[in-house]
Amino acid sequence: MLTDILITTLINASVYAMLATGFSLIFGVARIINLAHTAFYMLAGYFIFSFTTVLGLGLLPAMLLSIALVVVIAVLSYRILIDPMREHEAAVLIITVALAMVFQELMLVFYGGHFRSVPQLVSGYVTVLGVRVSSQYVVTIGALVAILAAVWLVLMKTRLGLAIRATAQDREIANVMGMDVSLISTVTMAIASAQAAAAGALVAPLFILEPRMWLYPLTIVLAIVVLGGIGSLKGSIIASAIIALSETLVTFLLPSGAFLKGAFSLGVMIVVLLIRPEGLFGVSFEGER
Amino acid sequence: MVTPPEASNLLEVRGLTVCYDTAMLLNNVSLSVGRGELVGLVGPNGAGKTTLLRTVAGLVRWEKQSKQGTRAGNITIAGEVRFDGERIDSLPPHVIARRGLVLCPERRRPFTELTVADNLMAGAYLQKDRRALRETLDMVHQMFPVLKQRARQISGTLSGGEQQMLAIGRALMTRPRLLCVDEPSTGLSPLVKKELFAKISEINRRGITVLLVEQDTALTLSVCARSYVLSHSRIVASGARQDLLADQTVHRSYLGLQSP
Repeated sequence: MLTDILITTLINASVYAMLATGFSLIFGVARIINLAHTAFYMLAGYFIFSFTTVLGLGLLPAMLLSIALVVVIAVLSYRILIDPMREHEAAVLIITVALAMVFQELMLVFYGGHFRSVPQLVSGYVTVLGVRVSSQYVVTIGALVAILAAVWLVLMKTRLGLAIRATAQDREIANVMGMDVSLISTVTMAIASAQAAAAGALVAPLFILEPRMWLYPLTIVLAIVVLGGIGSLKGSIIASAIIALSETLVTFLLPSGAFLKGAFSLGVMIVVLLIRPEGLFGVSFEGER
Repeated sequence: MVTPPEASNLLEVRGLTVCYDTAMLLNNVSLSVGRGELVGLVGPNGAGKTTLLRTVAGLVRWEKQSKQGTRAGNITIAGEVRFDGERIDSLPPHVIARRGLVLCPERRRPFTELTVADNLMAGAYLQKDRRALRETLDMVHQMFPVLKQRARQISGTLSGGEQQMLAIGRALMTRPRLLCVDEPSTGLSPLVKKELFAKISEINRRGITVLLVEQDTALTLSVCARSYVLSHSRIVASGARQDLLADQTVHRSYLGLQSP
């Protein structure tokens, strides 16, 4: 059981970390709370289902194509619907929820409310530290961690990453340093949505697909971002691990725990916030933008 | 009144008027900065100095566009801004910066959560030539050695004076042709102020044109050969240091200096 707890925690923590860091990035740079963020995760799963079952593509090309398609949809949504409304925070919340609902209902129209699944990328088992683990789980965890590390490297070691971090700190000053903050925001939206889509694509072979699958992760991502401290990527990653571990422990150790995992995780968040209202690694966003 | 010949003007502002909602912050302001000059713009708090620099740098128009549809976006801008002969008043701030007009903002505003080195590299964002970048960085480190010593320190933890050096260093990393420095002396001790103004003079001697906006009139007039006085949103006086100092009305009403 210990192995199950460990594997489930690792999978969920890395999926949440992918979703939460993307959510934090786009919040930091474009100053928007994108409630449609996890809908991109859902879309990627359905696109893979279509590409593999309808078009008969292999799983890997279907994954890559799905991520690319989701990024195009996300960038267009951002430029056409969200960016013009950026200064109206309430309007952005409504627009992004509406967007997620539209995606959900379109999936209902095209695929119905049935549970769907996609084939596994790899089959068989491998032995890790003396324990037999499904190869698909190992590949998924490895790929998620590798993508997170790549995003981290881009942010910390490249010129684009510096521009993203500077824009997240102060849009106005980034602008007078010659940075095209509108373009940087769009690129950040592309990175964040690619992260959400990659998370969706990588867990699609493990989870079931259904049109409301964006809602629970969205609640958890909001909890993680608040728990980790709004705007802190490090905080998002650590909070993802805390929430994923508490979810898994409740699911495995309590009778009917799977029904309580959300309530328990959100309870953990509330307790931490009572002690540290700014979150674990709270970053002040009160300064001039 | 000393007015440099037009052909050598790097910055020309003509009839600039800016209103935020019903408040007029700039009223028909005209000024010019010649190539290689160090020009001062002095005036009391609330005169419109920062608004003038923000308008020239394109930030007021950007604010208007990004806040369109909200009360904060109810901004009216009229008049003309030319940089090196080209109209720049409809260009976005990042394009104006790319032309070489760079603002070193009021209250320094370093990227507080980035290191000193990252702040300087953010200034060098447009610089693709590695050798030129290295040369500029060496020049900035030579002018402000503390920025080299504290390269890995998070800039939010620097002292006020060090943050001001960082803000100027970051602006220099863009390799500006015109550096607009907004109230660099705010909150600094007299000694640090003096040191900073000496650095600003040195930047100008290195061939960079500077428009220095300040409340500390005495210090500004001591380093700028030519200055403008802005009061109640208008330019009320301008000229060479000695002319401004000799004008008793300017002295009493606007500069707040003791008579010579």
